[in-house]
Amino acid sequence: MLALRLARGALPTVQLRRLLVTAASGGTGFLLLCVLGHALTHPEAPAQSALRLAWCAVPLAATVYFAVTVARTDPGTRPRPGLSAIGLGPGRLMAVSALTTALCSVLGSLLALVLFLYLRGEPARAPFEGDAARSLAPGVPLPLPAALTLLSLVPASMSLAVALTLRPVGQGRWRALAAGRGPLGTRRAGAGGKRRADTAGTAVPGRGRRTEAARHASRRHARTGARRGGNGSHALSTVLDSRDPAFAPADAPGADQDPYASGTPRNAPGGLPWGVAVLALGLMVEAYASRSDSPSGLVVPGGFANGSAGVLAGWLLTALGLVLAGPALTHLCGWLLQAVQPGALRLLAGRVLQEEARRIGRPLGVLCAVASGAFTLGTVYSGTSGTRSSVGPFTVLGGLLVIGCTALTLAIVATEARDSRAHTTAALVRIGAPATMLRSAALLRAGALLALFGPLTLAVAALAAAPLAG
Amino acid sequence: MVAQPDSDVLWARALTHAHNGSPALRGVSIGVREGEILAVSGPRGSGKTTLLRCLSGQFRPQEGEVWFNSTPVHTMAPLIRERLRRDRFGWIDPEPVLVPELTAWENAALPLMLRGAGRRAAKKAALEWLERLDIGAGARKRPHALLHSERQRVVVARALAGTPTVLFADEPTAPLHRAERAHVLRTLATAARSHGITVVLATHDADTAELADRTVTLLDGRQVNTIHLPHASEAEGRTACSLSV
Repeated sequence: MLALRLARGALPTVQLRRLLVTAASGGTGFLLLCVLGHALTHPEAPAQSALRLAWCAVPLAATVYFAVTVARTDPGTRPRPGLSAIGLGPGRLMAVSALTTALCSVLGSLLALVLFLYLRGEPARAPFEGDAARSLAPGVPLPLPAALTLLSLVPASMSLAVALTLRPVGQGRWRALAAGRGPLGTRRAGAGGKRRADTAGTAVPGRGRRTEAARHASRRHARTGARRGGNGSHALSTVLDSRDPAFAPADAPGADQDPYASGTPRNAPGGLPWGVAVLALGLMVEAYASRSDSPSGLVVPGGFANGSAGVLAGWLLTALGLVLAGPALTHLCGWLLQAVQPGALRLLAGRVLQEEARRIGRPLGVLCAVASGAFTLGTVYSGTSGTRSSVGPFTVLGGLLVIGCTALTLAIVATEARDSRAHTTAALVRIGAPATMLRSAALLRAGALLALFGPLTLAVAALAAAPLAG
Repeated sequence: MVAQPDSDVLWARALTHAHNGSPALRGVSIGVREGEILAVSGPRGSGKTTLLRCLSGQFRPQEGEVWFNSTPVHTMAPLIRERLRRDRFGWIDPEPVLVPELTAWENAALPLMLRGAGRRAAKKAALEWLERLDIGAGARKRPHALLHSERQRVVVARALAGTPTVLFADEPTAPLHRAERAHVLRTLATAARSHGITVVLATHDADTAELADRTVTLLDGRQVNTIHLPHASEAEGRTACSLSV
């Protein structure tokens, strides 16, 4: 009930985000139901249906990513002193977050089910005609347990991901293990745990020393991680580690006594060499696979020509490379902006971009990967006009879902970055910084990112499409 | 309406302002003479910050007038008020709010650069002021690497580097210890007097107010001449809470 009340009292923009989560989960649920329909109408080809189901993992991943971002940036479920004073600490708030997400996605899934049934002509009306409508298996009785199981996949994975991301432990077990500590020993210690403990207002005096020691340990660990710079474990751990300080709700009230502690400049994100290496490897694998493989194996639903497992692996590696390189490229972009004799505008634009590189870079990399994938698909489809090149409506729906979710995630993260700087911006306005300049700094940042990532995306897409079209 | 004396660089008449319904200022009239240091004193919640914000054009007062050099501030368009703040006014916050991504000298040079001054000139002025405030050594550090008092001194340097006509300081020494407080205030006062900067200083501290040429006292949003706060009687309560030995 508390989750409902908190959800009801939120701001319109937050409600809009939740609505978008509902829409995304509904779209993914609809895709899953369509796969079920395909399986019902094609009982002779289970492999093809399984392949379609596997392709649904991409929209599902995008949806979960989006839901986690929305839940993480939700101001309603952030630790609040007023609530923690009455005992609603980070732990309960995590549950509230997961519950809110579950509510949204269950609603979306139900809508998807209703739409699916409606399109099938379930309550005694004529089903829709046409090629696409045959995937909905009209006339074949729908096995309800199967449909519900498939539909519950989306809310379950969303809530689980949200709960895992927002769980109130200091450092993940993997980080603790990597630091040479036991998986259980200092679960609540560490920098994050300290902050959460402070936030919850439960700073037990007796625990101070241990927490302090753990913080030193974690700082040491962070330093070694930074010194290792661009090696793989670091880059991968930054990809996998959702508990990165940039992802923690940094501007929770009372989170830091020192407002500048969160503004401590960290080293430049070091994923660039690995990102480039993985990207190049992906392109190479893809080129090799498309040259040597026979046109069999994995096929994109809707008739993607000549797709093979090798090409897919190449694509995945390319995408991973872009995601890895994203933060470092963003940082580079900011560095270039403020490089030579900067005035106030370039100084503000560049330094802020450098500071926000970790936060913004990863969603930006994901969006680039998705965009380049879409571009490649478009090239391939338009190149092989003829036999089976028409894009099915479900492929379009899936593509729109993926692009929409990643773009919205980037937008939300950008908004979050802006909100976390509201304090500084207000101070700048007090000393008379013109609003137009602040706005043009933001535009300059966006333009610089576009100038760097746009051509990069196009180049990667062109390189990826070249062997397929040829 | 009584004509204001020519020496007043900034004056306000019958300022009334409320924050979302709760009154902060109730008819305050004030005149600031050119080159003087005016202290606005009063306990917390007496409307000092609101008065300073109204005077500096950050708030538009709900009633009353603010005039700066015979120009009405209360009727100015937001953009012109913004330029007025940038070109003529300086502002010091009670807490040091610096841009965390910029180094100390870049922070201090920011108002000059915002005005369109060249980078080199802005840097020179900023470094000069930082040196004068004893933080020349930390000029290349980012705010996170500075002590709290050093940050506040950077803020003071930032406000002074632009040599504003009027400098508004809202409890500028609140986060500082007494020795640093004296140092910062002395620098502020010396700079103001040597450069002819008018200072409006909000403070609840009698020692700080002593430094000023004139003191205006606010209480509950009204201007008062003397404060008679009800003192808690000594004996009552004390005995009730005392440890019975």
